[in-house]
Amino acid sequence: MSARTFTTLFVALLGLALLSAPVSAQNVPYQRLVNAGNTPQDWLTYNGNYNSQRYSGLNQINRQNVAQLRPAWMYQIKKPGVFEASPVVADGVMYISEPPSTVTALDVRTGRALWTWTPQIPDNVIVIGSPPVNRGVAILDDMVFAGSIAGHLAALDAKTGVLRWDIAVDDNRKGYYLTLAPLALDGKIIVGVSGAEAGIRGFIAAYDPKTGKQLWRTYTIPGPGEPGRDSWGADSANIGGSSTWLTGSYDPTLNTLYWVTGNPGPDYDGDVRPGDNLYTCSVLALDPNTGRLKWHFQFTPHDVHDWDSNQIPILFDDNIGGRPRKLLAVANRNAFYYVLDRETGAFLSATPYAKQTWADGIDAKGRPMLKAGNDPTVDGKQVWPNLQGSANWYSPSYSPQTKLFYQFTREMSTIYYKGQAKYITGQPYTAGGGTAVNGDDAYAAIRALEGTTGKLKWEFKLLQPGMDGVLSTAGGLVFSGTEEGNFFALDAENGKPLWDMQLGGPVHANPISFGVDGKQYVAIAAGWTMYVFGLP
Amino acid sequence: MTLQHFRTFALIAAVAVASGGAAGQTFSQAAGGKQLFDALCTDCHGVNGTGDEAPAINHPLGADEAALKKIIRDGAPERGMPRVRRFTEEEVETLAVYVRTLGNGAPVKLAGDAGKGRAVYQKLDCQACHTIGGQGGVLGPELTKIGQRRAASYLKQAVLEPGSVRSKGVQGILLNGFSEYLPVSVVSKNGSETRGIRINEDSFTIQMRDANGKLYSFRKSELVNVDKQVARSLMPSYKDKLSAGDADDLVAYLVSLGASK
Repeated sequence: MSARTFTTLFVALLGLALLSAPVSAQNVPYQRLVNAGNTPQDWLTYNGNYNSQRYSGLNQINRQNVAQLRPAWMYQIKKPGVFEASPVVADGVMYISEPPSTVTALDVRTGRALWTWTPQIPDNVIVIGSPPVNRGVAILDDMVFAGSIAGHLAALDAKTGVLRWDIAVDDNRKGYYLTLAPLALDGKIIVGVSGAEAGIRGFIAAYDPKTGKQLWRTYTIPGPGEPGRDSWGADSANIGGSSTWLTGSYDPTLNTLYWVTGNPGPDYDGDVRPGDNLYTCSVLALDPNTGRLKWHFQFTPHDVHDWDSNQIPILFDDNIGGRPRKLLAVANRNAFYYVLDRETGAFLSATPYAKQTWADGIDAKGRPMLKAGNDPTVDGKQVWPNLQGSANWYSPSYSPQTKLFYQFTREMSTIYYKGQAKYITGQPYTAGGGTAVNGDDAYAAIRALEGTTGKLKWEFKLLQPGMDGVLSTAGGLVFSGTEEGNFFALDAENGKPLWDMQLGGPVHANPISFGVDGKQYVAIAAGWTMYVFGLP
Repeated sequence: MTLQHFRTFALIAAVAVASGGAAGQTFSQAAGGKQLFDALCTDCHGVNGTGDEAPAINHPLGADEAALKKIIRDGAPERGMPRVRRFTEEEVETLAVYVRTLGNGAPVKLAGDAGKGRAVYQKLDCQACHTIGGQGGVLGPELTKIGQRRAASYLKQAVLEPGSVRSKGVQGILLNGFSEYLPVSVVSKNGSETRGIRINEDSFTIQMRDANGKLYSFRKSELVNVDKQVARSLMPSYKDKLSAGDADDLVAYLVSLGASK
């Protein structure tokens, strides 16, 4: 046996051993999260890895055999609702959240529930700005962490679901609530909040995983006297929104946390909040030990179309201008694909990846060059992209194999209306809204963009704009879903369709992949069901 | 007043309404309600609520206060009414009050006679494609309660220029604003063409029914062309086949269908 043969055999055996790890392990220290890319049989964070690439290193399911993919098991949630959860898988257990805020652990071999936990949600809970959803959990050490629409964060025993602690992140009576999957770092759990349609002041906060004690809180609207406060005229800052409702990304080497922020409030009437409205519609780079802001980049200054920048920032490294760069890329809700230097926050490029009618482009400093006359009016003004954007919360994917950024792209417009703005605690503070121009007048596409430039490599058209995440895999595949209930696989190189199945309910979720007993699986929520697919 | 002047005036009025509370002025519900209604509701419900694609609402409404506010707040997607936009509770209240005032005017009398219209319907053999009370064909929308869904102006246009109106929210299958009874022509890889109306569609398949009522289901990967004829209807135009009086009678009959007696 040559050394090489032995190494190959050893790696294969090791892989098999890991794939068949006993169900009882359930201990996920921080180092496992840092090295998540080395254990693709697990899916340890919301997007699979701190870099948020939503890329699986498993290649058992590939271009040659994906046409044979079939359901392995299904799990139906216990209460109907909008099911947007992205599972976490560790050591043979899948952890999901069910709408509105239930956490359930499933046996990955069978889909049978191991435990379930439901928090107390008051009947008069305030959820303004989204359906009452939950997009997933975080795991760290022997605990699972989940937010709730009541504005709480809970820590559960990963083996049993027993509640370890439960704290109020902020006051739901003021419109604060949680829909995001928390992010577990070394000795801290990071969360953000929803509620910009109710006039909250957004923030990002870190909690001690052992006790639930708040370690720091960084507001996403500067306080009096702080830099950027003067970007809010007319005393509008304290109810200016800037929510933080999507899970961030993390670079362990730079020890930098990247978090995106939402729209200013009121959404559609900018007259009452003159200025750029920092740090709304931005990405923030934070020191995770202190919450200190390292740099920020604002995608849409003074937004009036509800174009939250709550899209996943993907981290990858590549050469730009002949030198290696550490990059951060976002396909923004405003229809531009941005590439930033994630060490410095320097703006590198922005390229439209969907139809837009509001800007002549993005200038050299990264600021949009506005076309006149696109603000909402009392009679309505039609603008591309749509109110829900050309992208939204659902995750894109980046494949290090193809160096392509895969984005479910919504091609749609909205007629934007301006209405009244009057702040009343716990009530909608939006000052208008929009009517979607949908149906046969709209469509969607999976677009493969060159990671460093945003240049379109290929697209695969879909019937209608939905809320569908993308997974790419080492098997050369891209998985995604549709509003009509299709789940499908494309060739990651050229977008050729290789497999699809109708699941009977809309896909408003992100796919993941995991392995158990030496077999690779792909999971997706659709309708009121979690589906898991494998090869025969 | 020129259009531009009118818009400027409307904007000033809007600002006045928006800042009414802060300035300590009395918030005029009727004025605010008309402004919101004219901007957001007249495209479907017609000027002053006389109806069009959506029903006339310029008559006393059966809905109680809670039901009316719910439909203003959330729409009725299953009946083709989208949630127009998110309203504050104050805006909902304002609109509800204004909508009630629309019913205070004199009822609009239709030009035609419903009884005569029924005979026109039968003479034209509309039942070949449409169903009323369980009797008739299925190629076009069921009309049993069409008077609850559409108003006279829309129905008249649908009779005279069928391609110019796009049916939505009747069958409740393809929601999200898709056209229903959409004429589609598909060509398969072997060159055969199938024409019919779209029944349902997803990103990978399409289901259709031809003029004989036969159902087809295609995978799009097996088709070389899918032609969705958005501005067309399978229904012929009756513009040159009906006298003005017959058209009015037919419309009056359709409006009467499903109307509360």
